[in-house]
This record gives sequence, C-alpha cells and structure tokens, in this order.
Amino acid sequence: MISIKGLNKIYTNGTKAVDQLSLEITEGEILALLGPNGAGKSSTIKILTTLSGFDDGEVSIAGYNVDVEPDKVRQSIGYVAQETGVDFFLTGRENLVLQGHLYRLNKKEINLRIEELCEYFELSDALDNLVSSYSGGMRRKLDIATALIHKPKILFLDEPTLGLDTQSRQSLWKYIRKLNGELGLTILLTTHYLEEADKLSNRVAIIDKGQIKVIDKPEALKDQIRGDVVSLQFDKPADKNQIANGLGTNDFVKDSMWEGDKLHLYVSNGATSIPRLIENCNELKADVSNVSYSRPTLDDVFIKYTGSSIDAQEDGGEEKWWEKWAGKGGGGKWAKKWQQENQETDSSDASEWSAEEAAEWHKNKQWSEEDAKSWEDNKQWSAEESAAWHAEKSAPDKQSNDKNEQQWTKEQADQWHKDKQWSEDEKADWENNKQWSAEESAAWHAAQAEQSAEPVEPQDSAKAEKSEDQQQWTDEQTEAWHKNKQWSEEESANWANNKQWSAKEAAAWHANKSASAENQSNEKQADADWSKNNDQAWDKKSQWQGSKK
Amino acid sequence: MLADTWYLFNKYVKISMRMPLWSLFSLIQPLLWLFIFGSLFNYFASLPGFPAETYIDYFVPGVLIMTVLFGSSWAGVSLLREISSGTVDKMLVSPASRSAIVLSRVLHSAVQAVIQAFIVLVAAWLMGANTSLNPIYIFLGLFVILLLGIAFAALSNGLAIKLQREEPLVIMGNLMTLPLMFFSSAMVPEQFMPEWIHTIASVNPIQYATSAVRAALSVEPDMTTFLTGLGVTAAFAIATLYWAISAFKSIRD
Repeated sequence: MISIKGLNKIYTNGTKAVDQLSLEITEGEILALLGPNGAGKSSTIKILTTLSGFDDGEVSIAGYNVDVEPDKVRQSIGYVAQETGVDFFLTGRENLVLQGHLYRLNKKEINLRIEELCEYFELSDALDNLVSSYSGGMRRKLDIATALIHKPKILFLDEPTLGLDTQSRQSLWKYIRKLNGELGLTILLTTHYLEEADKLSNRVAIIDKGQIKVIDKPEALKDQIRGDVVSLQFDKPADKNQIANGLGTNDFVKDSMWEGDKLHLYVSNGATSIPRLIENCNELKADVSNVSYSRPTLDDVFIKYTGSSIDAQEDGGEEKWWEKWAGKGGGGKWAKKWQQENQETDSSDASEWSAEEAAEWHKNKQWSEEDAKSWEDNKQWSAEESAAWHAEKSAPDKQSNDKNEQQWTKEQADQWHKDKQWSEDEKADWENNKQWSAEESAAWHAAQAEQSAEPVEPQDSAKAEKSEDQQQWTDEQTEAWHKNKQWSEEESANWANNKQWSAKEAAAWHANKSASAENQSNEKQADADWSKNNDQAWDKKSQWQGSKK
Repeated sequence: MLADTWYLFNKYVKISMRMPLWSLFSLIQPLLWLFIFGSLFNYFASLPGFPAETYIDYFVPGVLIMTVLFGSSWAGVSLLREISSGTVDKMLVSPASRSAIVLSRVLHSAVQAVIQAFIVLVAAWLMGANTSLNPIYIFLGLFVILLLGIAFAALSNGLAIKLQREEPLVIMGNLMTLPLMFFSSAMVPEQFMPEWIHTIASVNPIQYATSAVRAALSVEPDMTTFLTGLGVTAAFAIATLYWAISAFKSIRD
C-alpha cells in the first residue's frame, strides 16, 4: 500500500530530516512511527501526503508515485495533521461539506457521507454547532471525519492524540482500531507516546534522526528484553565501565545500558536483585541516589536502539526558563513516567490493585497532593529508620547519631555552665553560625509542628516523648548548640550520606518488606495523578508553542 | 479551479458574516479620515488652480482608495493564521486547485474592501460630497477599487508566504500603503506636487487607480483617464496575483 525506497530529505538549513528511509506498509496494517520530536516523523508523513518534496528516493502510495501523480495520491489518502485542520468559525457540517466539495463529491454524496460519518463518530448532536465550541476530543474526531469524507484507502495520522486528555485519547484509540478493523483502512500514525504505539499498532517502527532503527511487532520488540529493568541513578559515577562490569558479574544481569548517569540493568527478577545490586554498588563505592524497577516497555526498546530515552531526546538541550516555569522540562519526564507506569498497571495488575486498594489510594491521594509535606514525612521517616538500621547493622564506621547526640546533650549541660566565659570569646563565631541555627530551628519547628499534627498512634506517642525531650534540650539551647556546631559540621556530610542512603535503603526496605508491590503501586498512582496534570499543562504549552510557530 | 474558488470563497464569506462587527470596525479609520481631512484641508479648495469646489469633493476618491488599501493589505495575516492552524495543509492534501486557494482568499478580501468603500461613499454623500450619481459610473469606480483590492490582497498574501511571519508582514503592509498613497493624488492634486513626487507618482499604480476612480466619480466623467487607469490597475492586479499564486505553489519545500 505504501512503499518507500531510499528516501532522503535535507532541509535548506542543512538538517537531514529523512535519511535513507525505506519502508513497506501492507494493506490493512496499522504502523506506528515512534520517535521523539524532530526524529523525522512529520517530515516523512508530509512527503507521503504530497505536502512536501524530497531530495532523493522513490515513494509510491496506493500504487501512485507521489511525484508523478500527486492528485491521484491525494484522492486515495486522508490526512489528519498535528494541528487541528478544521475551521473553528464554521460548523461541523460546513467543514464536512467544504471538504466534500474539495474532493469533488456532489451534494448527494456529501450528505450521505456526512450521515455515515456522524453516526460513526457520534458527532450528530454537535454537527451544526461552531467548531470553536467543540472539546479537543471532538475536534479531533471531526478532523478525522473530514479526512475520511472521500473514503480514502490510507489514513495518515500525525500525532493524533497530542494534547488530549486520557479519556479522549482512549476513545480515539477505539475509533482508530475500529476504522482499521471494520473498514480495513491502512493507517500510518506517528506518535511519541509509547503506550499509543504499543496498543494501537500492528508494527512499530522506531525512528531516530531520520532513520528507522528497528521495525517489528510491539510484543516482539519487548520480548527482546525479557525479565525486569532495574534502573540505578548514580550520583556522579566515577567510572561507568567499572560499575557496569562490576554489576554485570552477577549472573542474573543480562544486559546493561547507560543513559546519562542512569544505568539500566536488564535482569531476570527485579525485586530479588535490587539488594544484591545495592550491595555491589557499595562495594564499588558508587553512590546510588535512586532505584526503580519495571517491566520492560517500549521505552526500554527505544533506549536499546537509540541509546537514550524518548523523552530525554525530546527535552534536549538547555531548559529555557519559561519552560521551567511552565513545567515543561519536568512535564516531559513526568509524562513519560506516567505513560510508562500507566502502561504497566493497565497491562498487568490494574484491576486487582484498584479493587483492593481503592480506599487506601484515596487516603493516599490527599497525601500526594501535599507533596512537599509528604516529602518532609519521608525525610523524618528515613532518619528514624536510619537509626534503627544502623543499630541493627551496628556498623562500626558509622555513628548512630541520634543516640550519640542525646547522651551527649545530657552530659554537656554542666560543661556549658563552665564554658560560659568562653562563650564571650566566641560571640563572633556564634554570630557567624547564627544563620545556621536559624535554619535548623525552623526545620526543627516544622518537624515538631508536623509531629504534633499527626494522629496519635503507638509510634507517634513515642515520637511525642522524643519531642518533649528535645524541647528540654532546646531550653538549654546554647550548650547543646555548641556541641551541635561541631557535630553538625562533621555530620553535614554524614547527613548528606544518609539522605542518599535512605533512598537506597528505601528500595532495600521495600524489597525486604515485600510490601513493595503495594506501596509502589500506590506511589505510582499518586505520581500518575500528579503527572497527569503536569502532562496536560505541558501539552497545552507545547500546543501553544506549536501554534506560535 | 473555478468551483474550488467558489466553495472556498463561500467559506470566507461565511466566516466574515459571522463577525460583522469586526468587518465594520475597519470602517472606522476611513470614516475618521473622511471627517478629519475633510475639515482640516477645507481651505485647500480656495487655493488658485484647485480642481474641485470643496476639498471633500476632491478627497472622496482618495478616501475610497485609502479604504481599499488598508482593508486588503492585511489579508496575508489571516493566511499565516490559517497555515499555522493547519487548515491550509488540509486544503493542500486535497486535490483542490492550488490557485483556487489563493484566488478565493484574494477575492474575498477585495470584495470586502469594495463593500467598505461603498459604505464610505455613502457616508461622504451624507457629508455633502458632490460626485456623479450615475450608477454606471459608480459601478465603474468600484470596479477599479475591486481590482486594486485584488492587487494588494495578492501582494499581502504573497508576502505572507515569503516572510512566513506576522510582524514583518505588518511592517511591509504599512510600507506598501502609506508612502504609495502620499505619492499619489489621493489627497493632494497633481499640480501641487513637487516635481520629484510627480515623477514617482507617474509610476505608482495607486496614482492610476486614484485617477481612474476620480475620473469615474467626477461630476463630468473623463473616460480617457478612466480607461488608462483601469488598464494599469488591471495589469497590476494580474501581475501580483500571478506572483502570489506562484509563491503559494512553491510552499511545498
């Protein structure tokens, strides 16, 4: 149906948009071109739809050469562009009628076709309203309907669900599948949504820098990476080869791939291999700041063939201040994460989880909305846990700070009285450190406020006692402070360590507790919830930028 | 091509009809000029050798030209908007004639400008301007205005495709219209012009259009001047239209 041989397209500014691209699409197939923005997806589609010329190669659509018989090609294809191609100041019907006339249909044919299409896309109610009053999903549906007015054999969809919310996106997928299944339309779509490529297409072509890197069924692509993917985020890794080789000695590690400071390990079982991997990292003296594991997604396939994640490529380069402000940079990342995780939950344990955990998720939801607060919670928790963990491990090289600190404060009360004259000497020094104590006190106050705000549970009553202890100790502030000063300088590094370590331990703890699945899915959901909003904001932004172009 | 032009022309007319207020809004400027210049330059008419009895009598054809210039010189802006909204791509993937896409846009702008010019003419009559009231001559005058509207709408559309951006297009629109208008007899009779402006005016298509409109609307119509002006304006319109269509066809990069 579509045959492309050695297609080349170089823009006047020298960028190679399409580089020796060859592709065969058979009748009745849905093929997804998957790639980041600027990979050459849209350029390819524009060439195939006669909108754009090319430098070299041979393109035939439905048996017609695009160079020789463009009008024949145009009669046999429908095209839905990234931008909404329908006129906002016309009604849905007027748009369809105009499109029908442009495709040389007569009035009778047009009316018949409008009836069919409206029924198909459930547009009848809004048909005589101005398009400007339509929702994004409806506009897209009308856009597709206008592209189908002349019964084309091939439909080109350029980022069909860009800027749509999840619901409209899924409803649109339903229509696209139906068009392919019932009408036998050959569909070529471009997308940078992994889920879309995965769920919609018979085959996926991963395109990067104008070249097709791999083309196969989505399952076959994912099968290339069996097991789980464990991703370790390192804090300035010194020797990447050493780390990759060191971790690779485990027989459960099948493959590894660096993406920036992130190492993706393809392992047979993620949950059981994380503790081992963390241990190995400690032996290699490599600081891991974040651990995650997931089932392989198309993004992992993407990373395998292009060396970077689809969204890392998209973000590309410096983040502009306004993008930061609008949450674009983060949005991209979160959108990706959400995509990925949505995919997982959808495909595997979504229903189970949602049935069991609905109530708990709702509880957690408000928690996730108060993100900052929850982070504070986690911090406290990790501090507590760190003490416990230290005690258990009784590691000789690390001090159990909390205990030390408490003993020491009791001892030093008297000594402080002795040292009172000394404090006059140190006044300047104290002045210097004042800002530090201010920060600390704020943090302490915040922590205390939170503890007292929490409902009383056995754990919390212990906490409350502790805080009373601390209050006494604060009454004798200065003395404690002097000791604290030394301690804090020593321990600031330690504290930073602990922070990282708590991230590490969180993973280990999750694995040990084997409550990991539940917890993670909760967090996932919270993340998803949040990132969805962000995603939308980002989409809006990108839409805006698109239209500005 | 003609059928495509007709359908697309209908679309633009529909869109304009949906915002009649906006179309009326662009009438404010010419009406203001008619009023301000009519009063401001009133004493010009008493200068020896002034070709009309009152200044407003003289100025009416000029203000009609101004109306059409300012009405159609922004036509390209909406083309850029259509390109970025994706509707142009939608037309381009259909077998619709590429010439029809430009032609329908240009015709729409020109017709809109003629309607505006007619409203301004009625306003001038209400203000006491003295012109020919013969419908044939009024039609001939408006026909020249239509041709000039086509020419400037085509220029603006062509420039929009070449420049690809709104800001320079607006600047170019201003550059095209204002100086060219002062280098014509729209506001000041030829015999009052300095020699060098007179020379420029003699190659300025707006000058020919102005003379033609003035010749048609004059109480004593002058057909020789009219036909010369009509010929030059028509040639100008055809040339710019051809240029705009070929620019549009080259959009396929």
